[in-house]
Amino acid sequence: MAGTAGSGRRTAKWVPYAMIAPTLAFLLVFFVVPIFTLFKTSLSVNSGSLFVPELKFDWEWANYAAAFDEYRDQIFRSFWYALAATVIMIAMAYPLAYVLAFKAGRWKNLMLGMVILPFFVTFLVRTIAWKTILADDGVVVDVLGAIHLLPADGRLLSTPWAVIGGLVYNFLPFMVLPIYVSLEKIDPRLIEASKDLYSSAGRGFRKVILPLSMPGVLAGSLLCFIPASGDFINAEYLGSTRTTMLGTVIQKQFLVVKDYPTAAAMSFVLMAIILVMVIAYTRALGTEDLV
Amino acid sequence: MTPRPTNRPTPFAQARWSRRRFLGGGAMLTGGLVLGPTVLAGCGDDSESSSPKSDADKNSGGTKLRVSNWPLYMAEGFNEKFEEDTDFTIEYKENFQDNETWFAANKDALQAGQDIGADLVVPTNFMTARLISLGWLSELDHDNIPNISNLRPDLLDGAWDPGAVYSLPYFSGFVGLAYNKKETGREITSIDDLWDPKFKGKVSMFSDMQDALGMIMMSEGNSPANASVDAVQQAANLVDEKNQGGQIRRFTGNDYQDDLTSGNVIVAQVYSGDVAQLQEDNPDIEFVVPEGGGTQFVDTMVVPSTTQNQKGAEAWMNFVYDKDNYAMLTDFVQYIPVLADMDEALDKVNPDLATNPLVNPPQEVLDRVEAWGPLPEEDEAEMVSIYAKVTGG
Repeated sequence: MAGTAGSGRRTAKWVPYAMIAPTLAFLLVFFVVPIFTLFKTSLSVNSGSLFVPELKFDWEWANYAAAFDEYRDQIFRSFWYALAATVIMIAMAYPLAYVLAFKAGRWKNLMLGMVILPFFVTFLVRTIAWKTILADDGVVVDVLGAIHLLPADGRLLSTPWAVIGGLVYNFLPFMVLPIYVSLEKIDPRLIEASKDLYSSAGRGFRKVILPLSMPGVLAGSLLCFIPASGDFINAEYLGSTRTTMLGTVIQKQFLVVKDYPTAAAMSFVLMAIILVMVIAYTRALGTEDLV
Repeated sequence: MTPRPTNRPTPFAQARWSRRRFLGGGAMLTGGLVLGPTVLAGCGDDSESSSPKSDADKNSGGTKLRVSNWPLYMAEGFNEKFEEDTDFTIEYKENFQDNETWFAANKDALQAGQDIGADLVVPTNFMTARLISLGWLSELDHDNIPNISNLRPDLLDGAWDPGAVYSLPYFSGFVGLAYNKKETGREITSIDDLWDPKFKGKVSMFSDMQDALGMIMMSEGNSPANASVDAVQQAANLVDEKNQGGQIRRFTGNDYQDDLTSGNVIVAQVYSGDVAQLQEDNPDIEFVVPEGGGTQFVDTMVVPSTTQNQKGAEAWMNFVYDKDNYAMLTDFVQYIPVLADMDEALDKVNPDLATNPLVNPPQEVLDRVEAWGPLPEEDEAEMVSIYAKVTGG
C-alpha cells in the first residue's frame, strides 16, 4: 500500500481491511471454526449411543495415542508414498518445464495446453483409467513380462508402485506449472551475462537458472506433497489391501466405524506431520521468493 | 447385506460404482452435498423440526412423492406407470449408494426431525432394524397397502421388523462367491478354495462386515442369525491372517465387478443380483453359494419419520406389490422376489425368469443361506470396528 500513498489521492486506512473482509469472514466461518470443532472432537469421548454419538469434550489425549498406535503403518506409508511421488515429480517436471520455458518456441502454448489437458477429465476417471492400463492381463504387464522386467506372475496393479505412479500422474501438472512460471520469469539478460562471463552452459544452469527457479520447485513440492499425503483415491483404486494410507483410515473411521474422535485425531496427526515436514523443507530452501 | 443392484448393461457401468466409492470416500464433501439442502431447508422452516409429526405434516408434500433408491434398482417405465395409475407425481433419485454412508449423511437431520429430501428409502434389513430402534421410521398403515396380501408370509414377520410395522421388503438376494472358471481351472465350492495358494493376490472380499464375514462364520460352524462378537472376531482373525499372507487383493464395495471381469481377481465375494451382468461381461464367470453356507439379505421400503408424503409412499408400496408390476421390476433387477406365487406373472414378462436360479433359487440353495439376525447396538458397533481394523482402516 505504501506505493500508492504518495501519488495523488490518499487511500483511506480502512480500505485494505474492507478488501480482505470477505475472505477473512469466509476463512473464519469455513476454516477456523471447523478446525476448532475438529480439534474439540479429537479430544472428546462418546457418551451417547454408538450409532448416534454424543461427544463430550474431555481432553482425551488417549485418542491420539490410540491413533498413532493402531495406524502406524498407514502413517508411515502415507508420507513415504507422498515423498517418493514428489521426488519423482520434480525429476520429471523440471526438464519438461525447462523445455517449455526456453526451448519450445512457437509450440509453447500447445505444450502447456497438453500439460493441463488431462485436468479436463475428472480425477477419479483418470485414476480408474490406470486400472485398465496396468491390469494383470493388460498390455503393459505382458510386455514387461516378456522382456523379463517383471517376474512371470508379477503384477503392477495393486502394488505400492502403482499407487506412487498414480500420485505422480495425478499431481504432475501442479509441479510443472510453478517451475515453468519461475523459469519463465528469469531475465534472459542474466543468462546472457553468465555466458559473457565465460560460464559454461552447465555452470550457468547451476549458478543462475537453478537457484532462480528454486521458488518454483518449492511451491510445486508443497502443492503436490500436501494433497498426495492425504490422498486415498489412488491407494483405493491402484493399491491393494496392504497399501492403505492415512486418508483411507480417516474416511473409514468417519463413515463406516463412526468413531469421530479417532478420525479427528488422525486428521490432526496428518496435519501436524505435514506442517513439520513443510516447515523443515521451506527452512532448507528459503521462502523469501515464493512464487 | 448391502446389495448393489446392477443388472442392465449400461454405458455408465464404471461411473456407477466409482460414484458410490467416491461417495464413500469423497467423504465429507459429498456428505455435505447430500446434507446441505436438508440443513438449509431445516433452517428456513421451523415447522419441520418439531417431532413427532402429525398426519398433516406427514402429507404436507401434496402430490409429490420423493423416492430414494439404489442405483439400477428400478425398471424402465415403472414410475411413469405409477404416475398414470395414481394422482401422485414421483421424484425418483438413485442416491442411496451404501447403507452406512447414507446413515452417516442423514442421521443428524433424522434425529433433529428435519426433512431428508426423501419420503421413501430402501435400506437393507440390518439398517432398517437400526432405524426402527432409533425411532426414525413412520408406521405403515396396512389398510392403504391392500396388495400386502401378495407378500411371502415368512417375510411379513422378518426378525428386523416383526409384523412389518415399519417396513416392507423390496427384494432379497444372496452374498456368495463368483469365480472365473477359465482361470481357476476347476469348480469353486467352499470357503477353503478362497485360500488356495494358487489364487494368491487374486481374491477379493467385501469391506462390509456382515457381507464379508457371514459366509466365513458359517464355514466355521457359527451362525450369523445369532452372531456373537467372539464368532466375528474368529472370522476376522482368519481373514486378517490370509490378508497378511498376501492372499487378498482388495476389500471392495460395489467395485469388485470390474476386477473380476477383467481378470485381476479370479475369485470374489459377490451379490447374487450382479451375476447376470458379470456373466454378460465375461461368460466364464460362475456363481456359487459356498458349501458352508452364504448369507441372505432383504432390502426394505421404509418411510422416514420426516416424510412429507406418507400416503404417496404407501401408494407406491402398494403399486410395487402388484404382481404384474413386480414381475416387471424383477425382470430388470434379477434379485429374488419377495412376493409369493410369482411364477405366472414372471412367465408373462419373460419365460426364462422362473427357471433362473438367481431369481428362483432351488431349495437346496435356500437351505444353505441364512440371514443376519438383529444385533445389539454395542455388539454391532464392535463387530464393525473389528473388521474395519482388518480391512486397513
